[in-house]
Amino acid sequence: MSRHQYAMVMDLNKCLGCQTCTIACKKLWTDRDGTGYIYWNNVETRPGLGYPRQWDRIGGGWKDGALQPSPLPTMDDYGHAWEYNYEQRLYEGSRQPVMPTPDPQSGVNWDEDVGALNGEDNYYFYLPRICNHCTYPACLEACPRKAIYKREEDGIVAIDQDRCQGYRYCIKACPYKKIYFNEVTGKSEKCIFCYPRLEKGEVNACAAQCPGRLRFVGILDDPESPVHKLVHLYRVALPLFPEKGTGPNVFYVPPFNPPKRGNYGQNILEDPRLPLDYLVYLFGEEVKDVIARLEADLKQAQEGGHSEVLQLLIGRDAETRYRVRPQLVQING
Amino acid sequence: MQIPRWILALTVAVTACSPGVAETAANPVAGTSLPVASVSASEDAILRGGNARWSQVAAKKISLNRTPPLFDTDEPATLEIPTADVRLLRAGGKLYVQLSWDDATRDTATLPTVPGTPPEQRFRKVPTEADDRFFDAAAVMVPVHPGSPVNPSLQMGDPGHPVHIYYWNSARGAMLMEAAGRATTRRTGQSFPVDAAYQNRQWVVTFEMADQPAGTPLAFAIWNGSQQDRDGRKYFSVWYTVE
Repeated sequence: MSRHQYAMVMDLNKCLGCQTCTIACKKLWTDRDGTGYIYWNNVETRPGLGYPRQWDRIGGGWKDGALQPSPLPTMDDYGHAWEYNYEQRLYEGSRQPVMPTPDPQSGVNWDEDVGALNGEDNYYFYLPRICNHCTYPACLEACPRKAIYKREEDGIVAIDQDRCQGYRYCIKACPYKKIYFNEVTGKSEKCIFCYPRLEKGEVNACAAQCPGRLRFVGILDDPESPVHKLVHLYRVALPLFPEKGTGPNVFYVPPFNPPKRGNYGQNILEDPRLPLDYLVYLFGEEVKDVIARLEADLKQAQEGGHSEVLQLLIGRDAETRYRVRPQLVQING
Repeated sequence: MQIPRWILALTVAVTACSPGVAETAANPVAGTSLPVASVSASEDAILRGGNARWSQVAAKKISLNRTPPLFDTDEPATLEIPTADVRLLRAGGKLYVQLSWDDATRDTATLPTVPGTPPEQRFRKVPTEADDRFFDAAAVMVPVHPGSPVNPSLQMGDPGHPVHIYYWNSARGAMLMEAAGRATTRRTGQSFPVDAAYQNRQWVVTFEMADQPAGTPLAFAIWNGSQQDRDGRKYFSVWYTVE
């Protein structure tokens, strides 16, 4: 257990699916050799295949104190990079339209906005994902090199690139498949929660760039932090797949939609736009309680009352959304 | 036809320098001792001269074991490579160790070359072509202090008995490593001369290492890429002794 724990809350009701976070992260951290397919941060449409595809169904994590088996995702699951035959079309006289090679079969954000049907109605939402910097990281346990460590001062999980030998047990163990293998370096790598930025008092790049202002960052055990309030005080943010047993420290405010067919005396739980089963699949049974809490606050606000939690979720300014305290997480602090 | 000088040298030099050498390649020696043939041939002739000069050197057939699964939820791996042949040659103050084993699949790749220009100055970055391939590899482990009355732990030595590991990977080349116990293996940054060939579904890998005195224990390991071998997931031998 770390002395403190940085955490992030993402309000899924506010995610635009614009991928600005993805690009902010990629330009900062994974614009290197071997990292073309590596997205420390990605945003996927749910329901959907995810990235790598079917990551949520292939295994990993803990059960009864034992690491759970999982295959390694392959490049077929991540999607192979493709090129367009511009030269043939533009310079070599080809009359065929410009086409990608190889034929794209999968990729990051592959099934954007596809979603699924709820009765006759299509529904979907966006799920931004980073490493969960788990309290009980399966990746750390799986690494025979002891290359993965959880920083005592702030709970961030990182891979020592000098110790890592690219064995990839960590990728198999991670139930969120948020560790990637860089074949050029021969080592695995992952989101570092922008700890070099946090140490300077700057919030994570993905959060700083988010136009939807959906990310809240702070120390989970800091009572003044927005993440503490959303997770522990108002209890409206939940981890993804809690049954995987790793204790994620990234939390989500579940999609909170109006009733499917308007306000005919039914509430959201009675006539959900998104099938509750799917939200339960993602966040567990507690998601129903969270939606009930949010709905109660929404009703209160609509009737002219004040809702602290909704005011916080609006997140008007950076001071509201982030509480980065490098002085609190100094090793000797 | 002129007989190459190295054949003459080898023919003369492969003598009964130890009792085990009296046995032939077709009749592998028994026990855990490894006979050594002495030759006066160049490094180049030994490493890259083909199999002819090695065929007259007695082979020691060693039994290989699978390491148990790392996690109790892993399925035990099958024993696809039950044995390997070891041949030792001493020449020019060096010890040459040839390890050969049958392997139905040649699991290797030519990894892309990384340009010298820093990636931030290039539009195109070198891609990761595959994330799930593992490469055939082999290693010879030797104690740093061979005169010790106690052999080092087979698990990469132990704090009182450090080891050198001559590791060859079919895609990433030769690396000299050092270790003093499980999970302590460290690349020294040094390489060593090695020759490797895959033919007729068999790997033949020749390591050049510093000469080792008689009585030095050697242990061997083989990683089968198609079985996702890496790290402690591998085939390993017990300690054998240089005669």
